[in-house]
Amino acid sequence: MDALSRPAVVIDNGTGYTKMGFAGNVEPCFITPTVVAVNDSFSSSGQPAARGAPARGNWLAQHSAGVMADLDFYIGEEALARSRASTSHSLSYPIRNGQVENWDTMERFWQQCIFNYLRCDPEDHYFLLTESPLTAPETREYTGEIMFETFNVPGLYIAVQPVLALAAGYTTTKCEMTGVVVDVGDGATHIVPVADGYVIGSSIRSIPITGKDVTQFVHQLLKERGENIPPEESFDVARRIKEMYCYTSSDIVKEFNKHDREPSKYVKHWTGIKPKTGAKYTCDIGYERFLGPEIFFNPEIYNNDFTTPLQVVIDKCIQSSPIDTRRALYKNIVLSGGSTMFKDFHRRLQRDLKKIVDARVRASNSRLISGDTKAQPIEVNVVSHPIQRYAVWFGGSVLASTAEFYEACHTKAEYEEYGASICRSNPVFKGMY
Amino acid sequence: MILLQSPSRFLLQILQDRVLSGEKGIDIDCHTVEFDDVRYHIQFSMRNPKVMVLSVALPLPPPEAILYDGLPLGAIEAIKAAYGPVVQILDPPKDGFDLTMKINLTKLPLDEEQRNAILTQIASIREVVLGAPLKLLLKHLASKAVAPNVDKLVALVHRPNESFFLAPQADKVTIVYPMRFQDSIDIVLATSFLQEFVEARRTAALNNVPSCMWSPAPPLELKGVSADALNANAGFVTFVVYPRHVEGKKLDRTVWNLLTFHAYVSYHVKCSEGFMHTRMRRRVESLIQALDQAKSDAEKLKKLVHGGSFKRLSLKNEVDSRF
Ligand SMILES: Nc1ncnc2c1ncn2[C@@H]1O[C@H](COP(=O)(O)OP(=O)(O)OP(=O)(O)O)[C@@H](O)[C@H]1O
Ligand SMILES: [Mg+2]
Repeated sequence: MDALSRPAVVIDNGTGYTKMGFAGNVEPCFITPTVVAVNDSFSSSGQPAARGAPARGNWLAQHSAGVMADLDFYIGEEALARSRASTSHSLSYPIRNGQVENWDTMERFWQQCIFNYLRCDPEDHYFLLTESPLTAPETREYTGEIMFETFNVPGLYIAVQPVLALAAGYTTTKCEMTGVVVDVGDGATHIVPVADGYVIGSSIRSIPITGKDVTQFVHQLLKERGENIPPEESFDVARRIKEMYCYTSSDIVKEFNKHDREPSKYVKHWTGIKPKTGAKYTCDIGYERFLGPEIFFNPEIYNNDFTTPLQVVIDKCIQSSPIDTRRALYKNIVLSGGSTMFKDFHRRLQRDLKKIVDARVRASNSRLISGDTKAQPIEVNVVSHPIQRYAVWFGGSVLASTAEFYEACHTKAEYEEYGASICRSNPVFKGMY
Repeated sequence: MILLQSPSRFLLQILQDRVLSGEKGIDIDCHTVEFDDVRYHIQFSMRNPKVMVLSVALPLPPPEAILYDGLPLGAIEAIKAAYGPVVQILDPPKDGFDLTMKINLTKLPLDEEQRNAILTQIASIREVVLGAPLKLLLKHLASKAVAPNVDKLVALVHRPNESFFLAPQADKVTIVYPMRFQDSIDIVLATSFLQEFVEARRTAALNNVPSCMWSPAPPLELKGVSADALNANAGFVTFVVYPRHVEGKKLDRTVWNLLTFHAYVSYHVKCSEGFMHTRMRRRVESLIQALDQAKSDAEKLKKLVHGGSFKRLSLKNEVDSRF
């Protein structure tokens, strides 16, 4: 058996969660928080030794302490548990807003993903990794260096996340590789138009409202109402409440009324255990159920600095794309990322976007002089599918199981001949559409 | 930290999820591959949500290793002993696999601890099957005997097309690994790691572990083995295991560690490479800091002289965009 006959490893590293598994499967093997708990009880190891020479005799002791600290780390849920249980480890989130910020912990994170989670030999598999649409080519080189030099992978492809999300829709509905991907993750929200598998770079829009902000808002609402949640876990509880109980309403005024009329039906309860004392506590979950997701559609309720609703940003994004692609883009708006999972999110988005589009068509028709042909109505379609949560990973899984994938990969031999710069570009390949 | 665990994390997770998920279940059909080409095919069907069909493919056996019905010596017995009524072996196995088992989760013990112990055992199927002959031989060693009908030198599957060798005697078992690596840097790192490994064994604190040697040429025990099985590029590692290393609970641990020795070394080599990169990155960062410091001092001076009238290339910006 050689690497070409084994399934490729597909890893989608997100700000919040990493999705990893093997190509050809429908689901990732693991969805694990992108976090590393590092042992920083050896204070010397984190600092470059440039400033002021360390005490001479101590050097060896310090060095080996540093070595031990470098080996003493955990990732994912284990990292979270470890940092809760003791103070010797501190958490490091290697990815921020979709970009790798700390390459040391990123490399360790990958190491654990490969050896301890997937338990595969990286020399045996081609790898598909993902990156945000705003990632700089230098970053790609860096990823390439780590993958080829540390892990000796035989082949590597770095795909743009939204393109993969679009490919995910490909098997569930019959669509082309043209569409707009609305990827709302934990730390980044991107609206990315794609035409024939190529990202229309100049039209990408990013908005500063993400899954983390929804959690933040729910957290704030619970706190303002004085709910009795132990502060050390209140953010985490807010996140879990969000994931379990939040939904998208069609109209907040009506929704407030519904809650007030029938609180027993709409108000939920949360029961937890205080980590310090072990005592039980409960809290109510009320308006935040629909107010949380509302910040995408009415951002001013959350933030005064950014007030453009998601549907307006999507419309602007499409309007700024080449005119011959616009109809196709409106027709295929694909959701991806955990924060699009709120119930009825796609319905609300479709309705609000359609309102804008219809208003524009009406306005332009009313300006016509009789005899001109009227503008055709524009079809607006927000596509939702069951694998939305890990659409990027699934798209990667589908693409990496085609024969074309292996040809599009950069190989170790190429890397050795031409260097890391080959990783800057990753060709779009057939099979993507 | 750097040791591999015997149970597959993925198998264990799927099993535990399924046990806890109540009656409803979804179809699952997935393939995974572990190191050394051990492949799993996991199936659950909606009709029978509490029955998992698990197929396992083993590494391609080298010609010198002897199999029985496609499985290592004693594997079937080991499966029956480990899982009892929970597992039923299907014959023949699924196409492309060496073993297919039906795992009936309704037959698990009710006690949570016992149940988890069995689930962990199922997730360790790799050790149960591939480790069966090793375990058999070492069990005899524990009772200071040689297993009956066993050759003087036994070849066991270690990795695809690679074996490791055992010379069983009543009071000790000698185990030899020909070590092979693909990448040239790995060969160098692995060779020096193995020499250090042997060196570390000599230090006082480790007197109770099996003795261990490294040699560039095949040791005497391997006399008569075909040249193909002996073309190692990172030398040969020999362990001598005594009864005290395999008594009681130590046996399973010893079996697993011996079974995955190559993976252990390879994992270690990769970690060292990552470790060196981390060091290199820190070094570069501190050099750049020093340079920047020097440069900004110099710039301050220049500004005084030239009034900042010409554009200077900023090293810092260039480097920032890279890190
Ligand atoms: N069922 C759910 N309902 C609502 N939100 C959810 C649900 N499940 C997960 N989330 C939220 O989705 C976010 C994680 O989504 P995702 O895994 O797509 O992000 P990511 O890929 O880690 O981040 P990014 O793409 O921004 O780098 C988290 O904020 C999480 O709380
Ligand atoms: Mg993401």
